Amino acid sequence: MKKVAITLNINNRDVDMLVEPRKLLSDAIREDARLTGTHVGCEHGVCGACTVLVDGKPQRSCLTFAVQTQGKAITTIEAVKGNNDGYSALQQALHEEHGLQCGFCTPGIIVTFEAYLKENTNPTEDEIRDVLSGNLCRCTGYQNIIRAIQKAAAVMRGETPGAAK
Amino acid sequence: MEHTKGKNDFTALGKRMPRTEDHRLLTGHGRYIDDIDVPGALHACFIRSPYAHASILSINSTEAEDMPGVIGIFTGKDLAEWTTSLRMAPSIEGVKPVEMTTLPIDKVRFHGDLVACIVATDRYIAEDALELVEVDYEPLDPVTNMFKAQDAGSALVDETLDTNLVSHQTFATPDVEKVMAGTDRMIETNFSEHRQTHLPIETRGIIAEWDAGREHLRIHVGTQAAHPYRTAIAGRMKLSESQVTVISPDVGGGFGQKIALYREELTVAALARHLKCAVRWREDRFENLLAASHAREDWVRTRAAVDENGKLKALSLEIVEDFGGYCFYPANYLARVIAMILSGPYKLDHYAFDVKVVLTNKCGNGPMRAPMAITSWIMEGTMDAIARDLNLDPVDVRRINMIREDEFPYQMASGETLEDINPFETMEKGLSIIGYEELRSAQAADRERGIYRGIGICNVVESTTYGSKFYKSAGIPGSGHESAWVKIEPSGAVRGAVGISATGQGYETAFAQAIAEGLGVDPLEVKIEIGNTDIAPYGMGSRGARGGTAGGGTAYLAGLEAQKKVLAIAAKMLALNTADQLCMKEGKVWRCIKDDWTETELTLADIARTAYLDPTKLPDGMEPGLEVHKAYDPPPMTYSNSSHFCQVSVNINTGEVTFDRYLIVENCGTVINPLIVEGQQHGATIMGISGTLFEHVVYDENGQNLTGSLADYLIPTAADVPELEIVHMHTPNKRTPAGIKGMAEGGVMGAIGAVSNAVSDALAPFGITIDKHPITPDALRALLRNKS
Ligand code: FES
Ligand code: FES
Repeated sequence: MKKVAITLNINNRDVDMLVEPRKLLSDAIREDARLTGTHVGCEHGVCGACTVLVDGKPQRSCLTFAVQTQGKAITTIEAVKGNNDGYSALQQALHEEHGLQCGFCTPGIIVTFEAYLKENTNPTEDEIRDVLSGNLCRCTGYQNIIRAIQKAAAVMRGETPGAAK
Repeated sequence: MEHTKGKNDFTALGKRMPRTEDHRLLTGHGRYIDDIDVPGALHACFIRSPYAHASILSINSTEAEDMPGVIGIFTGKDLAEWTTSLRMAPSIEGVKPVEMTTLPIDKVRFHGDLVACIVATDRYIAEDALELVEVDYEPLDPVTNMFKAQDAGSALVDETLDTNLVSHQTFATPDVEKVMAGTDRMIETNFSEHRQTHLPIETRGIIAEWDAGREHLRIHVGTQAAHPYRTAIAGRMKLSESQVTVISPDVGGGFGQKIALYREELTVAALARHLKCAVRWREDRFENLLAASHAREDWVRTRAAVDENGKLKALSLEIVEDFGGYCFYPANYLARVIAMILSGPYKLDHYAFDVKVVLTNKCGNGPMRAPMAITSWIMEGTMDAIARDLNLDPVDVRRINMIREDEFPYQMASGETLEDINPFETMEKGLSIIGYEELRSAQAADRERGIYRGIGICNVVESTTYGSKFYKSAGIPGSGHESAWVKIEPSGAVRGAVGISATGQGYETAFAQAIAEGLGVDPLEVKIEIGNTDIAPYGMGSRGARGGTAGGGTAYLAGLEAQKKVLAIAAKMLALNTADQLCMKEGKVWRCIKDDWTETELTLADIARTAYLDPTKLPDGMEPGLEVHKAYDPPPMTYSNSSHFCQVSVNINTGEVTFDRYLIVENCGTVINPLIVEGQQHGATIMGISGTLFEHVVYDENGQNLTGSLADYLIPTAADVPELEIVHMHTPNKRTPAGIKGMAEGGVMGAIGAVSNAVSDALAPFGITIDKHPITPDALRALLRNKS
C-alpha cells in the first residue's frame, strides 16, 4: 500500500511521518512518534487502554486512522503532568491510593479522567463508575481507582485530600 | 524461625507505602514488550486453524512468499528440525504421557490451533500475507463434550493415547465406604464451573534476538517465571542455559497465563536463530481469547454423609475436568490440588476422591488465579445443601463442622496439615459485623413483599505457598523453593534480586520492604531487580500466591543474612568481641549497653567501604565484598484464611443480580505492605465475581469458539462491581520467615462461593439452587421460568 506523508501534532509537537492510510493512530503514536505510553489492549475499541485526547476529547486511538487526525491536537499520557513537572493531582492520587497494579490500563484511565475532571469537577461515585466503565482493568477491581479519582477531584477543587472519602 | 525481633518490632514490614514501580507506569514510561525497540526486528504472525479438529493435508504458500516484505512461511516440519517436542510424562500413577511438537504437523486440535508462521518485515505485511496462504484441511469429528469424550467410540484428540481420559486418580481413606454405607442421610450436590480465560490486558508477546557471533539468544517476554522459562526454551532449542537470557520487563498482567513456554514463543525464538536476526510477535486479542490458555472447565459432584445435626461424617468427591486439546502442564496439575485441599476449614475424617481429566478439541487449560478456587464453593455449597436438607440454619451447620482454634494443627483426611489459621474467628467476626440475625429477619420480611435478597457465606482456606514437599506428596513435578541475593555496593547502596518475576503485584516495593526489614535500612534505599535471568538468581516464579512467603520470605532472610555480615564487620571496627549487642537500624549501627540502644557513629556506607576497599580491616577469614545469597524452601504448604459475606438482590423479572453488601474478614499473617495486600484482595475478589457472573468462553457443538472479542467475552466494568469492605484479623505463621503467609488468590475462592450461595439463598423460595456458572441474567431467567 502506498504511504502518505502526514504531520501529526502530538503533545504540542509536530511529528512528520510516512504512513499507509490504513495505519492506526495507536500504531502511529507508538511506532512513528515513539511514544509508547499509549497501550493497545484489544484493537477493537472495547478496553480503552489506547485512549488519547483529540482536541481535548478522549478518543480510542485503535479505532482512528492516523491520517484522520492531521490538523488536530493529540494529547497522550506523556504530556500529563502537574506543577513543576511533578504528578498531576490524578497521578498523585492513583499513586497514593494504589489505583494501579500492572499499569497497562492506567494511561487510558488517566487521559480519560484528566479530561473528565475538567468538565465535571464534582462527580458522584456513580458518575465516576459510569465514565470509568469505558476502561477495562483486570488487576485492581476498580475500587482504588475510584477512590483515587474522588481524591483527585477534591484536590483539584481545592479541598483537603481527605474530604473525598 | 531465625529472627530476633517480635512482630511488633517490624518497621519496614507492614508499612503502608505507595509503590516505587508506580512512577514509570503513571507517566507512560513503562516498558512492556511492545515498547521495546529492536531496530530491524522482523514480525511474526500465525496461521490458525478455523476447525476444531482436522487433518492438515497441504499448505500452499507460494503466492504469499512472493509478496514483497515476506521473509518466509514456516511449518511444523521446519520447526521439528530446529526444536524438540514437549514431552509431558511425569512418573505418576494414572497420568498418561503425552507429547506435542512445536507446531502441529499433521493435524490441528482446536479452533485457533497453530498451522504455520509467517515472518515479514512489518506486522501489517505479515497479516496481508496470511490471507494468501491456502491450507487444505480434512475436518475430523470434534470432541467438545468431556463426558462424551470418554465414550468408547469417541474420536481421539491425541491418537497416541487409546482414550481421551488423560489422567485418572483416586484416593480413599480406609473406612470411608463403611461410614458412607452406614449413614442414612446422604446429600448429593453438583457444581459446574464453565470455561474461562485469564485475559491480561496486555496480551502475550515476545522479542527474540539471536546473536550469531556469540551464539546467544536474548528474549524479552512477559513471563511469571523467567528461570523455568529459560530452562524450558534452552532445552527445546538444544541450547545450554548459559546461551539464553530471558528478560521479563513490565508485564501487563498474567494471572497464570504467562507461566508456560508457549508454542508461538518457541517458534519465534527458533526462527530468530534460523534467520540470524531479531523476530518479534505481538498476539492480538482474538488470538488471546482463542488460543493463549483457558482455565477451569469442570464438573463436580459431592456426596456427603451427615448425621441428624448436620455433622459431616464422610465425603466423596468426583471431578471431571475438560483440559482442552494439549497439556502444557501435567494433566493432574489443577484438579489434583482441588482434591487434596478440598475440606478447607471443616473437620472431615473419611474422604474419597475420584479425579478425571479429559482431553477435548478446545484450547489447552492452565492454572488461572486460584486454580483450586472451586474448593470453597464446593464445601460451602455442600454446607448450604446440608442446611437445606435438614432445615437448619446454614451458619449452624458451619459452626458444628468447623475446626476450632484448639484443634490446630489439624491433619486433613488427604494428609495435609492446616495450621496457624482462624476460620471460626473470621466467620464469627463477619457475622456480627453484618448483623446476621437481623439480616435473616429482614430477608423474611422482604420476601413477603416480593423482594428477593440472599446472603452468601464462604469460608476460605487458601493454600498459598507450595513447598517442594507438597509437590512431591501430590505427585506433581516441581520445586517450591525461591532464592534471592543482596548486594551492598562500596558506597553503601543496597541492591536486591529475587528469582520470581512480577506481573503487577508490586514485588519491587514489597521485596524492598522485606530486605530492608532484614537488613535494617529504609525500604526506599533498596533497589530491587527482578525478571532478568542474568541478574536474578534461579527461582520458581510467580504462581499460587507464593510471592509473599517464598519471594518476600526469601528476601527477608537474605536481608537478615546481610545484616549479620555487616554487624560482624561493625563489631571488629568497634573493637568488640561479638556482634551480639549490635543491630542495624535505618542504615546505622546501633549498640545495646545495659538494655539501652544507642546509635554508634558507624553507617552502612562505612562498613561497605571497609568491606570492599579496606579488606585488611575485616574480621579474620572474612571474604572482601558485601554480598549474600539465600535460598529457601517453604513448608509443604502455608495457608491463609478468610470469610466472605455477600448480600445480593435478584430481580426475578430480569434475572439481574445486584450487590447490597460485600464484606471480607481475612487473615493472611504478617503483611508486607497493607496497601498492596488490599489491592490484591480487591483484584482477586472481583475476578471471582467476574468468573461467577460474567465470563464465559463459549464453544458451539462443532468446537467453534464464539467468544473471540471483548464484546463477547465479558468482564465487569467499574459500573458492575460492588465496593468491598475488608476487615483484618492477622495472626502470623509460626514456621515462615517473619510469619508471612501469602494471599492474592483467596479472593477468587471466596467470591465464587459467596456469590453463588447468595443467589441460591435469594431464590430459595423458588427451590432454585445454583449448581452452574456463570450466573447470567439469561441463565437465571431460564431457571425461574422452569420453576413457574
Ligand atoms: S486498544 Fe483501543 S480500545 Fe482496546
Ligand atoms: S492495572 Fe492491570 S489492567 Fe489495570
